Amino acid sequence: MLEHLVPALSALLEPARLAALFAGMLAGLVFGMLPGLGGVAAVSILLPFIYLFDSYAGLALLLGAISVIYTSDTITSVLVGAPGSPASAPTAIEGHALAREGKAATALGVGFLASMVGGLFGAVILSLAIPVAGPLVLALGTPELLMFAIVGLVFAAGMVGKDIAVGLAAAAFGILLGTIGAAPAAVDFRFTFGQPYLADGLSLTIVALGLFAVAEVVGMLASGGGISNERAPLGDWREGARAFVRHRWLVVRSALIGVFGGFVPAVGASASTWVAYGHAMRSAKDKSRFGKGEIRGVAAAEGANNATVISDLVPTLLFSVPGGPAAAVFLGALFSFGFYPGPRLVRENPELMYVIVWSVALASVAGALICFAITPLIARLTRIRFAIIAAPLLLIMVAGAYQATQSFGDIAMLLTLGVVGWLMKQADWPRAPVLVGFVLAKPMEQYFWLTVQIHGWAWLLRPGVLVIAALIVVPLLLRLAGLLRARRARAAAAATDGPALAPRKRERRVDTRIGLAFAWLVLLVFGYAAYETLGFAPDSRLLPTLAIVPGLALAAWIVVRDTRHALDEGVVRDPSAIAEIPFLATLLAYGLGVWLVGFDIATVVLLTWILLGCARMRLATGLAYAALILAGIHGMFALMRVSAPAGLLDFAILS
Amino acid sequence: MSVIDKRLAFGLAAACIALAGPAAAQDFYAGKRIQVIVPFSPGGATDVAARFLEKYLERHVPGNPDVEVVNRPGGGSVLGANWFAENAQPDGLTILFTTSSTSNPFVLGQEGVEYDLAAMRPGYSLPFGAVAYVSPTTGVTEATEVKDPDVPLIYGGIAAAASDLPGLLSFEVLGLDVKTVLGFPGRGPIRLAFERGETNFDYQFTPVYATQVVDMVAAGRATPLWTGGSVAEDGRLTGRDPAFPDLPSVYEVYTAMNDGAEPSGLAWDAFQAVGTATYNYGLTAFLPEGTPDEAIAAFEAAIPAINADAEFQTESAEVVGGYALIPPSEVEGPLLAALRPSPEIRAYLRDLLGTKYGVSF
Repeated sequence: MLEHLVPALSALLEPARLAALFAGMLAGLVFGMLPGLGGVAAVSILLPFIYLFDSYAGLALLLGAISVIYTSDTITSVLVGAPGSPASAPTAIEGHALAREGKAATALGVGFLASMVGGLFGAVILSLAIPVAGPLVLALGTPELLMFAIVGLVFAAGMVGKDIAVGLAAAAFGILLGTIGAAPAAVDFRFTFGQPYLADGLSLTIVALGLFAVAEVVGMLASGGGISNERAPLGDWREGARAFVRHRWLVVRSALIGVFGGFVPAVGASASTWVAYGHAMRSAKDKSRFGKGEIRGVAAAEGANNATVISDLVPTLLFSVPGGPAAAVFLGALFSFGFYPGPRLVRENPELMYVIVWSVALASVAGALICFAITPLIARLTRIRFAIIAAPLLLIMVAGAYQATQSFGDIAMLLTLGVVGWLMKQADWPRAPVLVGFVLAKPMEQYFWLTVQIHGWAWLLRPGVLVIAALIVVPLLLRLAGLLRARRARAAAAATDGPALAPRKRERRVDTRIGLAFAWLVLLVFGYAAYETLGFAPDSRLLPTLAIVPGLALAAWIVVRDTRHALDEGVVRDPSAIAEIPFLATLLAYGLGVWLVGFDIATVVLLTWILLGCARMRLATGLAYAALILAGIHGMFALMRVSAPAGLLDFAILS
Repeated sequence: MSVIDKRLAFGLAAACIALAGPAAAQDFYAGKRIQVIVPFSPGGATDVAARFLEKYLERHVPGNPDVEVVNRPGGGSVLGANWFAENAQPDGLTILFTTSSTSNPFVLGQEGVEYDLAAMRPGYSLPFGAVAYVSPTTGVTEATEVKDPDVPLIYGGIAAAASDLPGLLSFEVLGLDVKTVLGFPGRGPIRLAFERGETNFDYQFTPVYATQVVDMVAAGRATPLWTGGSVAEDGRLTGRDPAFPDLPSVYEVYTAMNDGAEPSGLAWDAFQAVGTATYNYGLTAFLPEGTPDEAIAAFEAAIPAINADAEFQTESAEVVGGYALIPPSEVEGPLLAALRPSPEIRAYLRDLLGTKYGVSF
């Protein structure tokens, strides 16, 4: 097979094809940077344009975009703290924390290089794996896929942070979110309130944006005319290179995890990113910086997500079964060029295979280089008044969410989850476990149900399952041993120092009212879910029950604990959090406005308020800028072949 | 009548209609843009078929309109169809491209369905046949042996009330004892589970069967049994699938198993209704209720011309299984009848899905 490497490269190096690859790459870079618009959006938007080219060039256009999305999303994640794509949420957590310490260049450098390595790894695996990966993909039966999901969840348990009750409750809440929609076992529609919008479950993009990005935008708006006070220096690129070299093996291991995740059909880049992040956490001796700016988290996440999207192509090309959502669109493109993936295509058209490999490899390297080049330009944007950036960012997020199903439900869900994300941020609940629980709930339930039906309980003894289970059990035992040792050491220390152990304290002084309100909210959600779950068929009850039972107990305990805490030590007030509430309310009002009067009118009002009210721009510049943003968003809608959301008023006028 | 013969016949009909067609149909779409709403994500079978037809509609619909495919996924196609019912104007410029995932929830009267397919006007239709095949491990070598397999039959599916419905009904018609494992995330993973030996009995739709399963058959890893069949002259689902003239239909398998007796009863009636909508008119373009006759006439004129297009014939064999497009005049009667089954059939379907597959309505 390898004798086709060189002819395939020369086939790709034709000017028109290179130009297509480059164009796709540029589009991918832009879409990676725009929060909420990830790989699926980019390939869907590029899809109509592939027919302008010959087949290789058309595919190169899509591959160029797929290969760099998870490189450039690092920029937004680190500089703004809003994940550029759902799979870069760990980067947003760790990288943004680093950026706040003035180490943006370290996070970005590691992120870009890890992405590049992940991409190259994916390309190498793709070229090597095509002849041999068939048996491997087939070896992964439903029991093995189930075990993979469980490993992910157990790894994720390492992310719960200091306050274990809160972290576990958050994970349970995420699993509960993941059970919304059609149950795989019996055809129950769970927690859909009769809305067809919820029948498919929530969109990952919307959950990630709602939990992480909306809260950031609210914060930016609230700081209004403020400028990033310490002129957000990028820091030293060399430090990034050094950190990358220091963690090179972690990047390689994460890339391997990512490659493995890609082999599993229908498990997206998000799942393997979290598994890799969990791995980084487990393999680190000092876990204290995770969640507060740990470069290892960035290295693992970026190494994994790029490798996954590329190795998603392995099942796609070998079995016509897309490994992820972007690969599904790519598969459609292959069909329309008359290529029908499968062992036959691999055998009969090796040149095509290696054109794909080369496209991915070239784009991965070039994409990382371009990211290095443009970052200083983009970093300058962070010195602009926050509210000025927040305006287009918010609208791009709304457009990105709206592209999921193009119904008002997308916007309503984004804002609802935005409120949840904001409350969690203010109440100091970790948001990562929610996302992990959400991402893994569906495959876990689906594969559990299939496995038990097909294999009974004999699945537990399958060799593949045992190997994957060993990945959990062995580290768990090691950790247990470590904990016991630590406890003994602490006990010895306590004996000498006396009983002066301070009670565990939260990192930040959380406003008691917000903290309690959110704890009550979670308790009520679990309580209601428990009530509704009673009406489900027994087979649909399993996963919700697994989330609700611990969730309800933990939430009740947190409510009691925090109430007693407040009674004992008095109410803590956090004026900066309270000051953000009107801005959050305004976003909700904006959602209501879109529903009532449609996108355009509501957006003009919102932009006027943000630019003239919050950012205090001059009338003329403000209006010009608003017009520019509005035109840009409409350009995006046109590209996505989506019409801007209409309101009730528009419908009334039409009819 | 073979596919090629049918195409010739359509070609002749095209010539006749082109000569006789009213001038109004010529002008109706001139300079206009048609939006084809696909209620699924890009890249799926429905999307691929819709995009494949785009070029030929532009070329052959009188007036050469622009045709543009727009994806509106969600709710297993119910969201996109609801949107269409609420927003599409009866001006012939917005078309809903559906599969059985859209029609079966409508036939069953599921919660959340706000569209009335039976009131809409079909514009054109493409069959979407399916082939049943087993693993050699079952010891089954031909259709009539399927009642006596060496090991229990295990069928993998997605959801009872969607595109698996006609397959499950065929088990009822034939009286098969099949263990159905529903809940797979898609038909591709189902095929992988079959290849791994986790299931041993499967249905795949024509495009996938022709590009993926035939290789397994050639390698001796799968044995084809039957197809869902196609609507014969008498309007019943008794004909062979034109894409697989060598394979018997469910109807034939039943008669062969029962000494020539014809299938009858509610199970057969239900299979006919659902199978007609799923297989014979599997991919159907609907226009809103009240769409002017000129628009429908434009498609009536275009379909035979597309079928006669040599490029379409070669490409269709690769992309959609080699079926010819069906013009609206031939779709309307049998499809609308299938979409409005008798109350007894509906009651039977809802009862079967409720008791055997745990579907709640």
